[in-house]
Amino acid sequence: MLKFRKRTQNRDVSRLTLRLWDFTGTASLNLFMFLFLLIYLSPLPFMVIASLTPHAQFLDTNAPVLPSRRVTFNYEGKDLVVYNVPTENGTQQWALYKPSRQSSEFIDPRHPEQGTIHWVGPWRTLRSVYTFSPTLDNFKNFLEITNLRLYFKNTILVAVISEIGVLCSSIAVAYGFSRFRIPGVKYIFFLLIATIMIPSNITLVPTYFLFSGHMLNWIGTWLPLIVPHFFGSAIFIFLLRQNFKGIPRDLDEAAMLDGASPLRILISVILPQSIPVVTTVALLHFFYVWNETRLASLYLGIRPDLQLISFGVQRSQSFFFTPETLMVGALLVMIVPVVVLFLSQRFFMQDMIVTQIEK
Amino acid sequence: MDIINRSGVITKSKTVKGTRSQQEARIGLLFLSPWIIGFIVLKALPILASLVFSLTNFHMLTPEDTKFIGLKNYAHFLGDGRAVASLFGSLGYFIATIPIEMFFALFLAAIFTSARLKGKRISRTLIFMTSIIPGASIFFIFQGSLQYIQGLILKPLGLPPINGFGLLIPFMALWSIGPGFLILYGAMESVPNELYEAARVDGSGPFARFFYITMPMISPAIFFTLIINLTGAFGGAVLLDRGYILRFSLSPMEGYINNVMFVDANLGYASALAWVTFAIMMTITIILFSSSRRWVYFPEEDSDVEI
Repeated sequence: MLKFRKRTQNRDVSRLTLRLWDFTGTASLNLFMFLFLLIYLSPLPFMVIASLTPHAQFLDTNAPVLPSRRVTFNYEGKDLVVYNVPTENGTQQWALYKPSRQSSEFIDPRHPEQGTIHWVGPWRTLRSVYTFSPTLDNFKNFLEITNLRLYFKNTILVAVISEIGVLCSSIAVAYGFSRFRIPGVKYIFFLLIATIMIPSNITLVPTYFLFSGHMLNWIGTWLPLIVPHFFGSAIFIFLLRQNFKGIPRDLDEAAMLDGASPLRILISVILPQSIPVVTTVALLHFFYVWNETRLASLYLGIRPDLQLISFGVQRSQSFFFTPETLMVGALLVMIVPVVVLFLSQRFFMQDMIVTQIEK
Repeated sequence: MDIINRSGVITKSKTVKGTRSQQEARIGLLFLSPWIIGFIVLKALPILASLVFSLTNFHMLTPEDTKFIGLKNYAHFLGDGRAVASLFGSLGYFIATIPIEMFFALFLAAIFTSARLKGKRISRTLIFMTSIIPGASIFFIFQGSLQYIQGLILKPLGLPPINGFGLLIPFMALWSIGPGFLILYGAMESVPNELYEAARVDGSGPFARFFYITMPMISPAIFFTLIINLTGAFGGAVLLDRGYILRFSLSPMEGYINNVMFVDANLGYASALAWVTFAIMMTITIILFSSSRRWVYFPEEDSDVEI
């Protein structure tokens, strides 16, 4: 009896330590992730801060770091800038009324009825007073100079059409590379890898010639940006092949014995086991089209109404090359990919939800 | 009688086997056909054209003066200090960034497969997000954020300012792990759970499970990430475009080739440089591929299919 009690006590203790151990493990893992993200993302708040900062602040080297505006004081219908003025009674916040090189006239905003105060000294060395005040004007101005809605529509159309092409063809070709015994296939695969290695800009001129009025006459259309994807992307074929080869053949051999056709095997055996990698390819292609500028500038330069977002925004930025315009543009371009990325997580999670097993 | 019969059976089964493998090859080629057609029209012809350009003094501003000059462009490369320096710069960039990118991508992907981690959706989005920040603004972000870290944190605490330039390359490498992370994470998610369960029943801990199951099972994805980082460093295909304009590139060698091409408009020499880069990348890739037999795992390996 005593012995039995002792044993249950022991079991309780061990269960408690196990739980404690489990809790510390979970806590430290999450804490680590939180700290990592904190450091990893530390430069990002600058984007938001800069995009909310009025332009004048970047020109003043003495301005504070956070978005602010100059404090002004309305006197006799005019907005006067308030400066920190050193006086015998400490630093005073006075509004500059009549600037002049050697000495200036100031107004004390708290006692405007006292009239002007004479101060001897160069007013340009004074620092103006700032208050914290983020502004959305940068966004407003940027949307005025950029036809963002049109660019959004164009880019989504091009991305979706080419996405269909690149997924269908790359999956089919990767399946061909991973599952069929074809004589000489390794040389074809070698060519595929070689095309990844060729510096892309060097085939630019011959390819441009192919699409130009001399041959296909596709300049000023979306075709040069869409059609090549329907022949598969070497980099994605390589990625998908690596994954397909990792799937054991038992299942497709069983399906083959049941009389399933190769296409059927691809759709109902291979693809369901490759959802994470197919999602990865779909996302990477979407982001690729979203950020594409080189081909867009080359083939759509003469058609602003067909232009894509990344190049359209960069062109606006090149007219107003200031930190706040750059950050506003970057933030606006990033919205859609970030939302798409967030929503696509469901497909990565699928495996985990079904099994609920820690790996 | 018996002998004839037997030989008949043997020849019959041989022809059946022959047609079946032929049929398999034919179906396989059918699946490969989109890429083969695209390769011939969109890749092979432009690549051959650039090979021809590399043997001429093709200048984009004066195309009528184009002459065949043989291997002079390649000879010029050997005496071009900037080209050789850019090439070593690319190699250095690859060697400097690859450990950071691979380590963090693998490490984070491994953490993310743990069921204990909370808020995966948002943190995965945040980790990937930095890889799609447009290239035009990324230097401003880096510079500006250093400034505000200085102004808000270091200065009030009386700490010395950070020297930013040494941090730029590790920072850029870290902020580009998105695609590698996504690929490795996808690969880890595809590892069959039965393997882990079996290992758990056998009493192996999380580290043993990672090194003896996860690592071998995702080695194809690791190999892929390695190759893609190599091509990115030398200016080949990239997984994710940061939206750089035509002339700009993070890769020193690609930057130099673009400079020769778009500023000097010397297409002949630029093509020759591209072919030299290509030869070097291909050599490294072949070495990696031949080493891959030893460390990249595929189930039911076919020696005649694998390179």
